Amino acid sequence: MDLAGYVALTRQSGLARELQTVANNIANLSTTGYRREGVVFAEVVRALPTEGGSVAMTDARARFTDELQGALVETGGRLDLAIEGEGYFTVLTPQGERLTRAGAFTRDADGQIVNMDGHALLDEGGGAILIPFEAREIGVAADGTISVDGAPQGKIGLVTVEDQTKLFREAGVLFRADTDTLPVEDGRVVQGFLEQSNVNAVAEMARMIEVQRAYEHSQKMMDQEDERIRMVVRVLGQRG
Amino acid sequence: MRALNIAATGMAAQNMRVEVISHNLANMSTTAYNARRAEFSDLHYQQIQRPGTINSADGAVLPAGVQLGLGVRAAAVSMQVAQGTVTETGGSLDLAIEGQGYLEVTLPSGEPAYTRDGALKRDGDGLIVTSDGYTVVPDITIPEDARQISINADGEVYAYFDGQTEAQLLGQFNLVSFSNEKGLEALGSNLYRETEASGQPNVGQPGEDGRGTFRQGYLESSSVDAVHEITGLIEAQRGYELNAKVITAADQMLAAMTQIR
Repeated sequence: MDLAGYVALTRQSGLARELQTVANNIANLSTTGYRREGVVFAEVVRALPTEGGSVAMTDARARFTDELQGALVETGGRLDLAIEGEGYFTVLTPQGERLTRAGAFTRDADGQIVNMDGHALLDEGGGAILIPFEAREIGVAADGTISVDGAPQGKIGLVTVEDQTKLFREAGVLFRADTDTLPVEDGRVVQGFLEQSNVNAVAEMARMIEVQRAYEHSQKMMDQEDERIRMVVRVLGQRG
Repeated sequence: MRALNIAATGMAAQNMRVEVISHNLANMSTTAYNARRAEFSDLHYQQIQRPGTINSADGAVLPAGVQLGLGVRAAAVSMQVAQGTVTETGGSLDLAIEGQGYLEVTLPSGEPAYTRDGALKRDGDGLIVTSDGYTVVPDITIPEDARQISINADGEVYAYFDGQTEAQLLGQFNLVSFSNEKGLEALGSNLYRETEASGQPNVGQPGEDGRGTFRQGYLESSSVDAVHEITGLIEAQRGYELNAKVITAADQMLAAMTQIR
């Protein structure tokens, strides 16, 4: 049985997935609070009928999220918040609490602090934060304390999870935590700044070229394998 | 090859960003214009390998699985609420609003609209109107023989007449504030309309409940920061090119696929 072709095929389908993650990273180059994602390949070993024989194939088995700090860019907005260091904001979606690093918040019609999708930002205790409509100055301290006209109004709770692999991506730059969240002690909230996407365009381009070349290599291998079998058929045919 | 579609969403997003930036730059000199900002957010994730899938005979589970994103979408184009620089014009009916608040005007349809553009004029009957001719609420008429108009910080309009030393109070402008200014619907011509997202208009005296005050003889300039916009433009352009590169790469991989015999 011809296995070389199948091995090359597993490589190619894996590479197509990797290109998809590269494309997604580049598409989210300007998405506030976006975290770069990557795919981890693993070897899949298949036994061969011959004694002790085996063949290694490849499969995209896991993904990782790049936790590198994105650049902070000044916007001046009073409710544009960035996290410097570790931690996530907690927002309340109809599906439950979600974590996010995207800190472009605004006030809704009721005075609650919400993100651009209308999900309320939660404080330490898990409640929504209300800003009275007559508020003149909204200040956010580094520890997350929100003050309205000099009087403290609440404290934004920054959380994290112990095991980063328990964070699952959801649409809207959100993460779902499948484990208990822990409060972050040393995270810093910076008012008037937004955290840019942590995608490094140059690195992604390099990854993309690598994927493309690897794809062509495995295609070349399939071509050569095809040529080899063709030759075998021709040579053996002539003998007979 | 999903990379093609993903890169297309990226190109559409960067294109929209360029559109928002060009709108901001076009309104660099528009009175009381607030810069807009395009906000993006990632699209849904495809579960290729569900986390927790049993991986081997001894029951070990995949810790992370494989989730592949499907691109980017525009989440919002939000107004950056910021006080623009207040520039002296000397016009007696030029009003800058310092702080929060909007002037209420009545559209020809009778509907209320709100504006921060305080370049007010008099119409043929002496009524105070905006540059587009919409009446400012409440109606204030300036008599023809008024020598000088004075408007104080609280919006009280006084007129001086020949032969009188005391000024006469003609009326007082209100200011309207909203819980969520970003939720206002822009109508063009510097006008905004109330929406469900903005909340109810809170009409009241200037200087009270967080509302700003007036400054006669000044106008609020556009709050667009040209340098900031240009750096954004460069980023958006490069982002667009990068996404186009991904399409080329995906295309070449597809071409390689068709060559397999």
